[in-house]
Amino acid sequence: MTLLLQGLALGLLTGGLYALLAAGLSLYFGVMRVVMVAHPAFLFLAAYLTYSLHTGFGLDPLATMPITVPLFFGLGVLLQRVIIRGLDPMMSVLLTFGLALTVEGLLGTIYTGSYKSVSMDYATRSLSLGEVHLPYDKIIAFWIAVITLTALFALLVKSRFGRALRATVQHPEAARLVGVRTERVAGYGFGVGLATAAVGGTVLALVTPFFPASHWAWIGKLMAIIVVGGLGSVLGAALAAILLGVVEGLVLVTVDATWATLMFYAFLLVTLLLRPQGLFGGRLAHRF
Amino acid sequence: MRIVSSLLLVAAALAYPWLVPNYYLVYAGVLTVMYAAMATSWNILGGLSGYVSLGHSAFFGLGAYGTGLLVARLGWPWPLALGVSTAGVALFAALVGVAAVRVRGASFVIVTIALVSAMNLLAQGWRSLTGGSVALQVPSPFAGLHRGQTHLLFYHLFLALLAAVLLAWWLISRSRYGSGLRAIREDEDKAESLGVPTAAYKVVAFALSALFVALAGGLYALWFGSLDPIFVFSVVFGASMVLMSLLGGRRHLLGPLLGALIVAPAGEYFLIALGETQIHLTATGVLLVLVVLFMPEGILARRWRRDHNRRAPQVLRRSDGGA
Repeated sequence: MTLLLQGLALGLLTGGLYALLAAGLSLYFGVMRVVMVAHPAFLFLAAYLTYSLHTGFGLDPLATMPITVPLFFGLGVLLQRVIIRGLDPMMSVLLTFGLALTVEGLLGTIYTGSYKSVSMDYATRSLSLGEVHLPYDKIIAFWIAVITLTALFALLVKSRFGRALRATVQHPEAARLVGVRTERVAGYGFGVGLATAAVGGTVLALVTPFFPASHWAWIGKLMAIIVVGGLGSVLGAALAAILLGVVEGLVLVTVDATWATLMFYAFLLVTLLLRPQGLFGGRLAHRF
Repeated sequence: MRIVSSLLLVAAALAYPWLVPNYYLVYAGVLTVMYAAMATSWNILGGLSGYVSLGHSAFFGLGAYGTGLLVARLGWPWPLALGVSTAGVALFAALVGVAAVRVRGASFVIVTIALVSAMNLLAQGWRSLTGGSVALQVPSPFAGLHRGQTHLLFYHLFLALLAAVLLAWWLISRSRYGSGLRAIREDEDKAESLGVPTAAYKVVAFALSALFVALAGGLYALWFGSLDPIFVFSVVFGASMVLMSLLGGRRHLLGPLLGALIVAPAGEYFLIALGETQIHLTATGVLLVLVVLFMPEGILARRWRRDHNRRAPQVLRRSDGGA
């Protein structure tokens, strides 16, 4: 029983991080119909930047975010405006796949293929609730994810930019007719998506050791999450992320790591067979 | 004239191992022909139906492990092992295909990435069967031959496979079935409303293209003798088939072959020139980005259009230029 509770709690905490990352992926898909395979590669790029800033300048990983987040936002806008716009969904997958390879190769060349990690003394202790032990680094990661996600939702729902963005997602032509500069909005949307990768990367650097090829494992997991959640639905992605995070946590403590990860693909397969549009997805999923 | 030059090319391909000065180049030739066969096989699905799979290395890996395990663990004769494992993979692909082709475009790409990731996990996790990350050793069925002679033999085996795949693609593309696949590529909803059994067509294309890739995998296991899940079930490996097909031109019979002739030797050269660093990944990635941005229809499409324009009347050419 304690074991199950422990798995549940850890799964929930990890699910928060998954939710943040999957929300970014859903955002790209919504605004651009782009399946951004390179999202995890940029996630690891951010983790390595955090590592460099930490080892080089002694910055606390969390203090690197004011640097990496604006940087990634700018990079995202640039990527969208210069190379991704105008491509059809299929070609954009291949393009972002090429970007992922490019980033992985550069990281491998610069940092070598060995594991790197950032360890802070506050991150190594854990909080004990009865028999359940929760590491502080996972708790910090979870709360950063929750805060970022809340900010993202507020931005999408409340702000003028968010309304323009959602209008662009729902009906680009109509949005243009009422005066939304859809091209520019899509660029900013992409920037926001990549900025979430920067936040995620910082968090990732804090909670787990990483090496350049580790982004592949994340691609599979995140893709499974956004399909289960329903392509293009940010909320659906977040809920599916929590669900799969918890399932992973439970299987991890009861069976083993291989089966825990295989759960993502099992859910993906079942979703495709029974409900191809995803648990919370609409009409978008079929067509793209 | 065309026939003469084609025959000369075939003769040159057959004689290649005797024309090069050392066995390393024969080895590189085997790899190149293997890639060409796989890319052409990928193109049965990718070129004709337009469904882009980044996960075909899953079928390569399954074919390789299937053949390898039957030979190494059960001591089956290699042709039987190869046949049984290939048939098994094709059946498996048909089953996966039933689920996978329910989604289109980018979602389908996601599913294929997930497929190869899942297989990779299984192969690494199921240590008692596959040996996990400690490579599975497959005894060579031709123990009497030395390394160079083995390369020579497998060069011709892979060449035969390439010929078979090219023939299959050509036959399919000229058939009614091929027209159905093309209709799916151009507009799946219209094709379906016109009575093309789209789901069945797509599943068959998926399984056929997996079948030849699995054969390549099985031959690879017998040739290379050592299987590492990280390499055979790698998304990068699957992506190279896509890159080759796109670069050469996926609407054309010889497009993937041409792409393989460019990309595979370039990859080997990179490995020698730059050693074991990861920069070759960046080179592949940048090449893929450039191909997608600037010549998504491939080299052959450009050539074909140029020749076509030269012959076309002036009016047509002008309307073509506007498109």
